[in-house]
Amino acid sequence: MTALLEVSGLYKSFTISGSRALVQAVNGVSFAIQPGETLGLVGESGSGKTTVGRCILGLLDATDGSIRFRGQDITLGGRRSKSRGKMQLVFQEPAESLDPRQRIGRSIEEPLVALKFASNERQDRLLESIGLVGLSEDMLNLYPAELSAGQQQRVGIARAMITRPELVVLDEPTSALDPTARAEIIELLQRIQGELGTSYLFISHDLSTVRFVSHRVAVMYLGMIVEQGDAAKVFAQPVHPYSVGLLSAVLLPNPKLKYETAINLQGEIPSPINLPKGCFLASRCPLVLQRCRDEMPPPENLGGGHIVHCFRHQEVAALDPTTDTFTRFQEEAKRILGVFPVEPQLDSAAAQSEN
Amino acid sequence: MQVVAEHAARPDATEPLLAVRNLRVEFPTALGDSRVVLRGISFSLLPGEIVGLVGESGAGKTTLARSLLGLPPVPGRITAGEVLFRGTDLRALPERDLRRMRGKDLSMVVPNPRGELNPLLTVGEQIAVVAQVHLGISRKKAREKALDMLKAVQIPDPRRRFDAYAHQLSGGMAQRVVIAMALVCSPSLVISDDATSGLDVTVQSQILDLIRALAEKQRSAMLFITRDVGITAHFCDRVAVIYAGQIMEVAPRHAFFFEPSHPYTIMLLAAFSHSPELRHRWTVPDVKRRTVEGAAGCSYADRCPLAQERCRTVEPPLAQLGPGHFSKCHFPVVR
Amino acid sequence: MQLAAYIGRRLLFIAPQLLGIVLVSFLLIKTIPGDPAVLMLGPTATPEAIASLRAKMGLDKPILTQFVIYVKALAHGDLGTSWQTTRPVLEDLLQRFPATVELVTFGLLIAILIGVPLGLAAAVNPTGWVARVADIYGLSAGAVPDFWLALVLIYVFYTLLGALPPPLGRIDLALVPPVQVTGIYTIDALIARDWEAFGSSAAHLVLPVATLGLINAGPILKMTHATVEKMLQSDFSRYEVLCGMPPRTVIRNALRNALPSIITIMGVLYGFLIGGAVLVEIVFSWGGAGQYAVQGVLNSDLYPVLGFVLFSAIFSLVVYLAVDLIYFAIDPRIGH
Repeated sequence: MTALLEVSGLYKSFTISGSRALVQAVNGVSFAIQPGETLGLVGESGSGKTTVGRCILGLLDATDGSIRFRGQDITLGGRRSKSRGKMQLVFQEPAESLDPRQRIGRSIEEPLVALKFASNERQDRLLESIGLVGLSEDMLNLYPAELSAGQQQRVGIARAMITRPELVVLDEPTSALDPTARAEIIELLQRIQGELGTSYLFISHDLSTVRFVSHRVAVMYLGMIVEQGDAAKVFAQPVHPYSVGLLSAVLLPNPKLKYETAINLQGEIPSPINLPKGCFLASRCPLVLQRCRDEMPPPENLGGGHIVHCFRHQEVAALDPTTDTFTRFQEEAKRILGVFPVEPQLDSAAAQSEN
Repeated sequence: MQVVAEHAARPDATEPLLAVRNLRVEFPTALGDSRVVLRGISFSLLPGEIVGLVGESGAGKTTLARSLLGLPPVPGRITAGEVLFRGTDLRALPERDLRRMRGKDLSMVVPNPRGELNPLLTVGEQIAVVAQVHLGISRKKAREKALDMLKAVQIPDPRRRFDAYAHQLSGGMAQRVVIAMALVCSPSLVISDDATSGLDVTVQSQILDLIRALAEKQRSAMLFITRDVGITAHFCDRVAVIYAGQIMEVAPRHAFFFEPSHPYTIMLLAAFSHSPELRHRWTVPDVKRRTVEGAAGCSYADRCPLAQERCRTVEPPLAQLGPGHFSKCHFPVVR
Repeated sequence: MQLAAYIGRRLLFIAPQLLGIVLVSFLLIKTIPGDPAVLMLGPTATPEAIASLRAKMGLDKPILTQFVIYVKALAHGDLGTSWQTTRPVLEDLLQRFPATVELVTFGLLIAILIGVPLGLAAAVNPTGWVARVADIYGLSAGAVPDFWLALVLIYVFYTLLGALPPPLGRIDLALVPPVQVTGIYTIDALIARDWEAFGSSAAHLVLPVATLGLINAGPILKMTHATVEKMLQSDFSRYEVLCGMPPRTVIRNALRNALPSIITIMGVLYGFLIGGAVLVEIVFSWGGAGQYAVQGVLNSDLYPVLGFVLFSAIFSLVVYLAVDLIYFAIDPRIGH
């Protein structure tokens, strides 16, 4: 079956004003998203993950490569007319992406106005959309400042869903939220996916959220996907040194669960201007060989859609045993926190005073 | 990052370095009355201890951090309570004496470092000036000390970065500079307010290692304030939870994560578990906000699945559940 | 090298900027009613005489042609002739412009000496009495007309107290002005060691400079107050307090950060006052350039006005360039 979204060899670079230097933000990214699937795109600052999202949505023009939506080439902005409304975006800072002077009802139906829907159709869709995200009708007249951050993000999602998109790009949708609001929004997104079969490109640096929300995950470093595959599998046993470095830095709320690894990345991420000709991680990788500095490792398919760009991935796999820390953490959490008395404890003092 | 071994309080240090008792901070509102932002805050820190303070936005974390230094965010005012630092009540000290202690005996690591550094001075100068003012050393010596600190916080190319300006540094480097400023005078107490949010996770890992190593070397105690419970699991000796301006639970690390007892703590931990079913067990759907602020009873009662009548009318006591483990709840969960 | 290139670029731009300014002024002035030929010949002139004079003055040609003729003359350093003074405009201005510059420069200095400290004090203690005094002062300085203040000062210090010389120009009428080097009497007197001339010209400067200083301290005060206050409330300033920096240091750093805005307004005032001091010039019979230009306007005397526009435009552009260079020096975020 055709993938919903197919990205091949995507490149994007920016020129710096006043000089001839090039910021190579995206360097040959390829992946696919199936209908009803969530792909998590993870990476740190400078990884290019946000740029990838923007190229897909047509907010930026790719320098090279192709983007196909349902088989149609939409790489350049001009060819996008058929797919308008089929792809949508949810931003990171809900407060900043909503017009503070506009009531949220108007903000939510704005995409339909752009698509030239008639007023009565917009009304129907509006009610449908807010029902989907769990907002009530009386909130439509409020201004964004009157809502909590979690509610504002729901508005952002309602606005994205109102055109019934098949793919939603979410760029750090929960990073600005508190843990409780974050959990609510994630659950909402999963429910929507269950009901409507929407696909998500979930861009985030919050690894534990990505782990539980994504079917598949792609790890980005300096504009390249160094490893991608089934989320549970990649998180349980990453085979690229950068993936290992990234995952081992995650601190889960359980003192006994720590991703122990022998692989330690040194230094900071180098600048995306003047990238080396070999592997981008060479300057920081403890397993680096001369070969890594001379040539870029080609993609190796390990089966089941698990692709990695590393000459020494087998040794990485051998170094660290399979430790699905995340799953273990969740199991432990259920065990520890699942102590919920069936009946709330009787208020013995109150009971006594009644007698 | 190294896993923290179980930390026992040093046998010779029984006197708390910091003892906060019933701290109350209010913000005057436009209507003329006051909003209570922090209420009845009581906790203590032993020398060399790292205590984590976890809460969501609006719970009062930053207000608490700054109030400890005598600088509640404008227009807040401390209206009651004591802040005993080495036995002296900081609230009773004149501003001049407090000023001498800030940056020297107790210091703060702030979030968003690039916004907090002076844009017109080089970062090296800013660190040096703190040393010069508080340690009474010459300018030359202060600059040397500042350079040493830059090396200690592992800034790459410290000599060149000494002359850099805040806007030329990345977020991670700026954070290191701010840590250097907080530690240059070897303070006994470091308050870290959300010092690693916004940083990449690998950078965060390095910064945490760094803070911990430096604090141990200088034998500083630390109050580590954060929204990320996960960090505290691997970094702190004890953890406290703050909600609506009150400390709801405080416990040694092991007890906090394996025997949490306050319904809010449990709900928070459940939210991190990404298990919807688990979280829903500890969440009350369709919360109706109480209209009267500061009404009697537990401030969490509206959202608590275990709440009963007494919770809404009587302020809960600080129940002790074990050594160092307290929960502000009428019906704490016990195993 | 970046700096030299920047300065070079800016200086290069001055020429086209000036051309634009002069063109607009030229066209605007031509719309002023009043026929110079009529004014020159008086009410008894015959239409033929007027027409012939107009033709001689080139007033019958199309406007743009007149402009081109003017620009061509400019290129040779000929700014035309004032029919009022019957002398070349360039000569007139070289004599009068320094007078204005002297007045305005000292006036601005006084304004800074009054405005900045007051503004600073008000910002540091927003609820104290200094702040309240500063607020009232700022308001009054804006409300009081400068020529009125000039007259009041003259009345008090000359008429009543006799402490200062009469408002009759830049130097005692009995004295000879010092040999012209810069055109600024005080400086030229110093150069020539002519102490009497120095004393007299300095004494004559006191009242007009005081007027300008007192009035223009207002905007400087307000800008200083507002900007320093904002800086004191900023994150970095609060952070310095958190680190236990003494108040002196915190205030000094806040002022440093406020300097760009304060210097901007100083630059704007400086450029403005070249023409804006005209009423003070008139009250004190200063013989300055603004006065000259106003007379040109009243007499439909085109060339003095244009000449003045040219001089003050060059002056302003140079001042703005200096302000930008100061920005470079102060703020490391700009230009690197």
